[in-house]
Amino acid sequence: MYAYIVRRLLMLVPVLFGVSVFIFVIMRIVPGDVAMTILGTDATPESLRQLREDFGLNLPIYQQYFEWMAGVLTGDFGESMRTGKEVLPDILNRFKLTFELTLISAVISWVIAIPLGIIAAIKRNSKADFGVRLISLLGVSVPNFALATVLILVLALFFSYSPPVGYVGFFADPATNLQIMILPSIVLGTAMAGAVMRMTRSSILEVLRQDFIRTIRAKGARERVVIFQHALRNAMIPILTIIGMQIGTLLGGTVIIEQIFSLPGLGQLVLTAITQRDFTVVQGAVLFIAFVFVLINLLVDLLYSYLDPRITYK
Amino acid sequence: MMGKRRKWLPCLFLFISLIVAGCSSDETGGEENGGEAKGENAEEQVLNIANDQEPAGLDPHKTPAHSSIRIYSQIYEGLLTFDENMEVKGQLATDWEQPDDTSYVFHLVEGVKFHNGREMNADDVVYSFERILNEETASHIASYFSNVEKVEAEDDYTVKFTLSEPDATFLSYLTNASAVVVPKEVVEENEDLQQTAVGTGPFKLEEWVPDNHVTLVKNEDYYIDDQPKLDEVVYNTMKEESSRLSAIRTGEVDLTTLSAKSASLLQDQDGVNIMDYQSLEYSYVGFNVDKEPFNNEKVRQALSLATDRQSIAEIVWDGDAVVSGPVAPSMGDWAIDVSKEELYQRNLDKAKELLAEAGYPDGFKTVITTASTYPDMVDTAQLLQQQWKEIGVQAEINQIEWGEYIDTWSNTSADVLVGRNGSGTDPDRSLNYFFNTEGSANVWNFSNEDYDNLVEKGRKTLDKTERKEIYAQAQEQIINLSPNLFLVSPMNYVAVRDSVEGFTPYPHNGEEIVEVYKK
Repeated sequence: MYAYIVRRLLMLVPVLFGVSVFIFVIMRIVPGDVAMTILGTDATPESLRQLREDFGLNLPIYQQYFEWMAGVLTGDFGESMRTGKEVLPDILNRFKLTFELTLISAVISWVIAIPLGIIAAIKRNSKADFGVRLISLLGVSVPNFALATVLILVLALFFSYSPPVGYVGFFADPATNLQIMILPSIVLGTAMAGAVMRMTRSSILEVLRQDFIRTIRAKGARERVVIFQHALRNAMIPILTIIGMQIGTLLGGTVIIEQIFSLPGLGQLVLTAITQRDFTVVQGAVLFIAFVFVLINLLVDLLYSYLDPRITYK
Repeated sequence: MMGKRRKWLPCLFLFISLIVAGCSSDETGGEENGGEAKGENAEEQVLNIANDQEPAGLDPHKTPAHSSIRIYSQIYEGLLTFDENMEVKGQLATDWEQPDDTSYVFHLVEGVKFHNGREMNADDVVYSFERILNEETASHIASYFSNVEKVEAEDDYTVKFTLSEPDATFLSYLTNASAVVVPKEVVEENEDLQQTAVGTGPFKLEEWVPDNHVTLVKNEDYYIDDQPKLDEVVYNTMKEESSRLSAIRTGEVDLTTLSAKSASLLQDQDGVNIMDYQSLEYSYVGFNVDKEPFNNEKVRQALSLATDRQSIAEIVWDGDAVVSGPVAPSMGDWAIDVSKEELYQRNLDKAKELLAEAGYPDGFKTVITTASTYPDMVDTAQLLQQQWKEIGVQAEINQIEWGEYIDTWSNTSADVLVGRNGSGTDPDRSLNYFFNTEGSANVWNFSNEDYDNLVEKGRKTLDKTERKEIYAQAQEQIINLSPNLFLVSPMNYVAVRDSVEGFTPYPHNGEEIVEVYKK
């Protein structure tokens, strides 16, 4: 098991190397120039040349890459071309928010999705089942930016409420922090819940048809024990896969939701950096997101073996 | 085996949670300040402003972004500024004289202190302008002062500027929010001023939390008595218009800029006042005049005649825009009355005639490029597409994102580009800078010797009446030559809570808050 984890962690190296080359090249291929976006219509050829030199953009591309990589390997992701801020501390700082947002959204989605999914499976083809399926369909198909905008406007228009302005960290002021985080988490949580609900329902239905469930029932086990101790646990693997993917995606930054709710998370950082061609920030952030995504996948794989002891890694 | 596996997994979770919790506790210091910045003390005069973009940096000599200017213009000051009628008046200079056509001597206000406590003197003015003109700074306003040959301190409170030739734009460019005085020691300590700010202005930088807020606090040592009235100003980054809209409705913020459409939604909202002012901007269509068919003046004129500017004002801007020439109407009597210009009278027959004369009796196909980032630009492009179709010009619309758009603009890689320009604070900007053959922002490949001579003469003519006549001619010429079609100049909107007193937006300064206070 430990050897497996070490092996998987070592595999991070080629993955991150590939990602770093890919994003580095892509950022230099797309049209757009950071010096021009900074200086705008006031740019003169001299000031543009000077800025490009300051950013090292006059060097050959392989040299730019090696210089950047040399920094990354020593933990120095460079400075933002636009604001001069150090990239890595900025990414880590914003990741805290994105992590919190992901965590709360995930909890909201599990609280909604898993019980409802189970009910739908047990009461298959009943009104409750149709209700749950309708809700999950809505969750999957209503775009979260639409839900977010409607939520903001309805609360402001009919309840004269809008969340506090300006993000405050959880440890600085938990009450304000939760007020700020709850709306975006509800929006993301309901969207996540849709998919999880469907998967829970179909996965449990499948497990309930299996022989061992019949055996357990034949042994006289109560239905609650059948569902929660046996069926749910066996049904968890595909649900976990979906949850893992959702969390990985959310941790990479939820651009639209962060923008709508003015949250200074990872998504906003990447979006702003891309539109302004702030190469160092985009490269650093993408590398970081890739790292997190791979880690989450590893964690999900390890959880499989926890839930189903038949799965072992060597 | 199983038991073992079950034990270490929760441990792993715990470990990750601890790392994250450990990271999180670092931020408490900064964010506690953020909490206080929201003004828990009821006595404090705190103004909460919604900023639609994150500031791009705070170095006034290096950052032209509007989201930055609105903040650093409260921190730094220049020698001159505009009064409410856009007349030049002193700021850090009490008065000035002009011994000859190419020299200006400024007398500084005495006893002005930087936010670090040191007194500002003539050497700081010299240093600041040397920094702007130094190529290594890559300052966006270097081109405004390209005629400055020498800046000298004659004594502690007197600065002399020597120009290479007479330059009528000099004083008005000195009012630019970026042409400000900075302390040398702070620049040298920090390499630049992107992350720090030490000026002489009414507000001091307290903190900047990225993508969250910038807090400014009152400069207690400000040299003008009773200013500023506010104790604190907080610029909250809120990129989404619907969030700004709901925050101003509920009073979470006191002031925000808005689009025309949102302004109309707030018209009947209790507790919110909508203020509008004519902007210094205008929308335009730019042609690459080296490319066929736009190298033919008649084609450009035909497109001008086929363009219905009034309907652009009505549809794109909900009627809150005025038809504009190259100098926006809010520039007062510098701008000519374009309503009588022949090319501004929509005339499809004449347009078709001109197209036929140019060799395109059946029209032609083209692509209009614009930025998807700005809905008004896309709407304008769509209207032009419909209007030009009536004379047989079949246009496709190519929407590109902002970074690519800026690149396309600067490399003239689009044949037809829809965009928006700032008029600047002097007509030289919109006439010389954008259309002189040598103009830094003449990306259209446009060149006309008569026109060049005219605008160069305008720049060197110090007599205001004579200068106005020259620029009136230049505007007529550029409208007729049509390297760009100038469309409309929109209104700008600011929504302000009714607890805010003393706020008046001006075209050249949408956010004068030094006299603002809260009831």
